[in-house]
Parts: sequence; structure tokens; C-alpha cells
Amino acid sequence: MLMACLWKLRNSQLVNKLFIGIAFGFLSFSSKATTVNQPLYIIADSLLTVDSTKVPYLTFNDSPTYNQSNPIINLMVGDTLDLWVYNTDNSAHDFLIKGISIAQSIPANDSVFLQAIFAVSGSYIYHDPSDFPKNTYLGLAGMIVVKDHNHASFYWNIKEHNSDWNTQLFTGNTVNWNQYDPKYFTINSVSNPNINADPLARITGQVGDTLYLYITNTGFSIHSMHFHGYHAIIKYSSKNATHFGREKDTFPIYPMETIVLQIVPDKEGEFPIHDHNLVAVMGNNIYPNGMFTTILITP
Amino acid sequence: MRKLLFIFSFFGMAISSFAQQITTTNIFSKMDMGPQHILWDGTNTMLMGFTSLMMTPIDIPGPTLVYTEGDSVELKLRNMSQSASHSIHLHGLDVDQWNDGVPHLSWEVGHNATESYYFKAPHPGTYLYHCHVTSSLHVQAGMYGLLIVKPQNANETWDGGFTFDKEYAWMTSEIDTVWHTDSIINYPHDTTTTLRELPDYNPQYFFVNGRSEHQLLDTNVAAITAKANETVLLRLANIGYFGNRIIFPNQLNAKIISSDGRPLPNIEVSDTLEILPGERYQVLLQSSIEFSDSISVDYFNLNTQNIANTQKVPVSVSGFVSSVNDIKKEVLFYPNPVSNALYFTKNTTFASVFDVNGKIILSANNNINAIDVSMLSNGIYFIDIDGVKTKFVKQ
Repeated sequence: MLMACLWKLRNSQLVNKLFIGIAFGFLSFSSKATTVNQPLYIIADSLLTVDSTKVPYLTFNDSPTYNQSNPIINLMVGDTLDLWVYNTDNSAHDFLIKGISIAQSIPANDSVFLQAIFAVSGSYIYHDPSDFPKNTYLGLAGMIVVKDHNHASFYWNIKEHNSDWNTQLFTGNTVNWNQYDPKYFTINSVSNPNINADPLARITGQVGDTLYLYITNTGFSIHSMHFHGYHAIIKYSSKNATHFGREKDTFPIYPMETIVLQIVPDKEGEFPIHDHNLVAVMGNNIYPNGMFTTILITP
Repeated sequence: MRKLLFIFSFFGMAISSFAQQITTTNIFSKMDMGPQHILWDGTNTMLMGFTSLMMTPIDIPGPTLVYTEGDSVELKLRNMSQSASHSIHLHGLDVDQWNDGVPHLSWEVGHNATESYYFKAPHPGTYLYHCHVTSSLHVQAGMYGLLIVKPQNANETWDGGFTFDKEYAWMTSEIDTVWHTDSIINYPHDTTTTLRELPDYNPQYFFVNGRSEHQLLDTNVAAITAKANETVLLRLANIGYFGNRIIFPNQLNAKIISSDGRPLPNIEVSDTLEILPGERYQVLLQSSIEFSDSISVDYFNLNTQNIANTQKVPVSVSGFVSSVNDIKKEVLFYPNPVSNALYFTKNTTFASVFDVNGKIILSANNNINAIDVSMLSNGIYFIDIDGVKTKFVKQ
């Protein structure tokens, strides 16, 4: 299927090509640096919420089959990322890696090719910045992870949703962003109790392990994630570089910002991690159907 | 004789190990039988909360629990709330799962029952405790308080940390009175059902230590009074569902030194500090001049980032702790007067230079042994070296 798409796009002369070179002077290339090929398909469908409400939604997908969670793209520092972004929607979209690339327009049923090399480990947001914040809010925002280690890692793309607003925006109406009042709060597009069923999100490990948690906030609310049981160390913060090294139990994550945490559990147990804006622990006003998961540490 | 001493010594160790001292704190969880907590505008509202005595009325925040680093603590909760079960989550203390206070991962305390949480106070700092049963509701209802762990030397921030002359603690929160009605708070509790529908959250009242507006003029609530050159430790904790932005007046030099019970790797000097729900910060405040003003606390909506309310807490610096030259006789730096650089007599963690208006104009930290003042205009300046203040002349 992928090859078919490439052939079609090449033949129709619709392929835009962009190379993104980044800070080569600071790159320390690993001899194992590789090229990661990642297709992304923009598909309009719906988000199934914790109370089974179907909300109009848009995501990037790693295949032509729709998934309500945007793919997490994993790289090592120095790797080359080759991205083909296919717009299967009937509307034009843009593509941007925040802080890395410039926005590329993708007409309906067209595609764009981007190549990027990341010099700094961390977590980055790719999204559709067109008509901002509309398309990003509607779901077109995912995570690129750039690692400088091989420890066990977990990934949270956190976001919130107002189902009425999604319907309004999909039908061409406008909303007043100054009165944003979300009702659903998700990690990788699902809420409690379904977050623990996602092996990318649910943190597991053993006492003494070094664990990493990569978080992007692709929503428009500030979230304040609180760890029970353990303090974690900030290894990267897109908003506050000076916060590197802080050891905390509660971590604010601002809209369209990212953070990387390192956790070294000193005891076994199952402990909650949740937004301490306790409104965000609810889903459509039902407690505790929101941004709530647990970390599970075995001896 | 030597043998006898050995036996006594061993016997003594055994006793001390068997009789390891446990600090026991009693706390009660209760619910108002109707609206009886008076807010700043005279409105009565209904609370659930913690008290230290059975007959004490509920107030927000609950009693502040203070321990010393290394204490072994038994926190004994008696639930007198008539309806819901309750628990105590020791927020930030990283206790074991059994004592973490999360009902479905450990246990909860039913009405008229008494249970104990056991923990060791590990790191000096500022923490919270709150109920974790239906936490969105029970925290909003008032079931929270501060927990402070002090080092052995109570006038230090932590062992080998900063010294201070006096301390204050502020806990910020909000109330939406729609949540504080009998139909919401006084619900029949079913331990087999964890789901609970709650109203939208639109708070009308915004608090520092449970008080607002004119109530904050009461010097016993949160107002800060100090003398010039005194060092004040301000403990800050946000248990609300809005963000807080603390804005310090220009005359007050604020050093942000720790958060969530851990020293910051790099101390920050700032006149603004944002504290999100569940976070705690410790800030050192100093002024070299006398003044009266207020510290602003903005409460901003986490979805829109719009400021919903601002509370102002008075701060007054009056009188001097002593002549600045008498604070410390030890020679801390040389030369004085200085033209280019001040050299410290020992490696220094933190140094700040202030002008005569108390405004910070230079700062450095992390194992420094000098600070370049060559760019300063000639005149008198003040310098704070690891919490010790004195003045110098630039020429």
C-alpha cells in the first residue's frame, strides 16, 4: 500500500520535498545512526471517549487505517527521519515539527516529504498549525521522541476535548477559544481506566530501574501531573530549559510544550499518577474517568 | 570493669531499638451539618475537613502537621463525617503503597472507624495532606492541609541549607459554592461504586490560608512582617484547581530555593512564581529597606489562562535587625571599597548584589569565589552572601 502511494504521488508530480538540517555543529553522530522512515496519513474520523461518545476527530496515522491516537515516532540522537505525510482529508492541511521545521502546506489528497536530523534528545511535537489552534485542537498533533539512552521508556501525549466544540468546528462553525471548557482528558487519546491498558503509557518496571517518561501536551489546558510514591527528575523541558535537574513530584506541562522525566523507583508498589487539577481527573463530569493512571513497580 | 561497661552498653542499645520513639498525631475527618463556614462576604458554606480535636469546627486549610526530619510518625485518623469514607494521602512524602491513602490501592476509613498511617519524614520541606476518596470532590470540600518537615536545626531550610529568621506558610485554594451543598457533599457512600458525577467547576472564592479580601488584612492569616535585613522563609502550596501566579513587590528580593521537598539545583531569583495544583515551593524573602506593600496572588484558569481573581497579602518591612555592619563580623569578602571584583573568603553557594532601593542588580550561584562589580556605578551597594547581608562601596 505504501509503495502504491509513493508511485502515485511521484507520477502525479505532486510530491513536495523538504530537507531540514539541524545544528550539525553540535551533532555527535553515533556509528549506529540510522534512517527512520515514517509515513503519516491525515485521516478524519472520530474519537471514542471513555463514556462511548463519538466525537469528530482528526489524527495522523502510521497506516491508511484510522487510529484515534497519533503515532509516537522514536529516534536516537543523530538518526535521520524521513517523513512522508499524506493528506487523505478533503481539506488542505499543514505540517510542522514545532521548533524544528517550517510549516509545509499539503493540499487535499496530496503529500509532502520531509527529512530531519535531531541534535538534541527530548520530545517534540509535530502538528498541523493551519488555522491554529483549530486543526491541532481537532487532533492533528503527535510526538517525536529523540533518545540518547536505551532505558525503558513510556510516552504520554496528553490532551483535553470538548465534544460540542469538535462538532462545531467540523461543521464549519467557530468557537470562542477564550471560553475553552474541556470535558474529556486523555493520555494517548484514552482516559482512565483505559490508560493502564496502553503499554506505551502505563509505566512498569522494577526497583532500581531507570525509567523515562516522555510527555507532550498537545491540548490547550495547562496540566499538572502528580506522582504518588516517587519523585522524578526533569531531563528536558521545552518551556523551561533551566528546570533541568529539578527533582519533583508534580510537573506542570503547558500547552504545546514537552517534558522528559527520569524515574528510578526505590520501592515496589502500584501508585497513581494523575493531573492534580482534579477537574481533569473527571470525564464528562464523572470521577475518576479522566487523566489518571498508575505506575507499577515490582521487586 | 570493661566487660560490665560493654554489657550495659549493649543493653542500652537494645532498649533504645525496641523503644524507638513514634510521634503520634490524632486527626479527625468531619462534615458540617449545614452551611456554617463564613466566607469573606458573609456567605455561609458547608465543608468537609480535618480537625485536630473532635469538637473543633472545620476550617480550611486543616491543621498544619509539623514533623522533624527522621521522625517516625503515626497519623491516626478518626472518621466522624457521618457519611463518606475518607483517607489521608501524604502528598509528596513518597510513602509506601499501603500508607499512601488511595482507597482502591490500599484502604479507606469508614464512618466512626479509626485507622493509622505510618511513615517516616524523610526530606525537610513543604508537603500536603488530603483525602483521596473521590478526591475531586473531597479536596474541593475542604479536606486538605499542610505538612511541614523541618531539619534538626529548625532555622535552616535543610541540613547545610539556608538559614532564616522567621517563616510563613501559605496554602492557596478556591471554592465553588455549588459543590458545597448538602446534595453534593452529603452523599450516601457506597464503597463498591467509585464513579461519581460532579458539577462543572466555576469557583467564586479564592483563598490564601482559607481567607480572602479584607480577611487577609488580619495579621494572623498570612500577612508578612519583618525587619530590614531579616530573612523570611515563605512556604507556598497550591491545593486548588486553578494556577497561581505569585508576584512579589520590587523591594522584596525573592530567591526560589526548593520545590516539592527538594532543593533546586539552580536557585532562581524572580519577582514572579507560578505554582500549579499540587506543587509546593519555598522562597527566601529579604529586603534591605523599609516598605509596606502587598504580594499579589493571581488565580488563573488552567484552560483559558485568564486570571479569574487576584488576592493581595500585606507585607511590611519595618525597622532594622541591626546595623548591617554588625550582622556578621566575619570577613566575607575583599576588598572594600572595590573597583573591579569582590573576592569571597570561602567558596559561596549564592551571592546577590542590591542597590540602595533593594533592587537586585547582580547575582551568581554554584560554588563561586568572586563576583565582578566593575560595571557598577560608584556608590553604596548591599551584598547577600549565602544569606548573610552586608554592604560595600564601589569606587
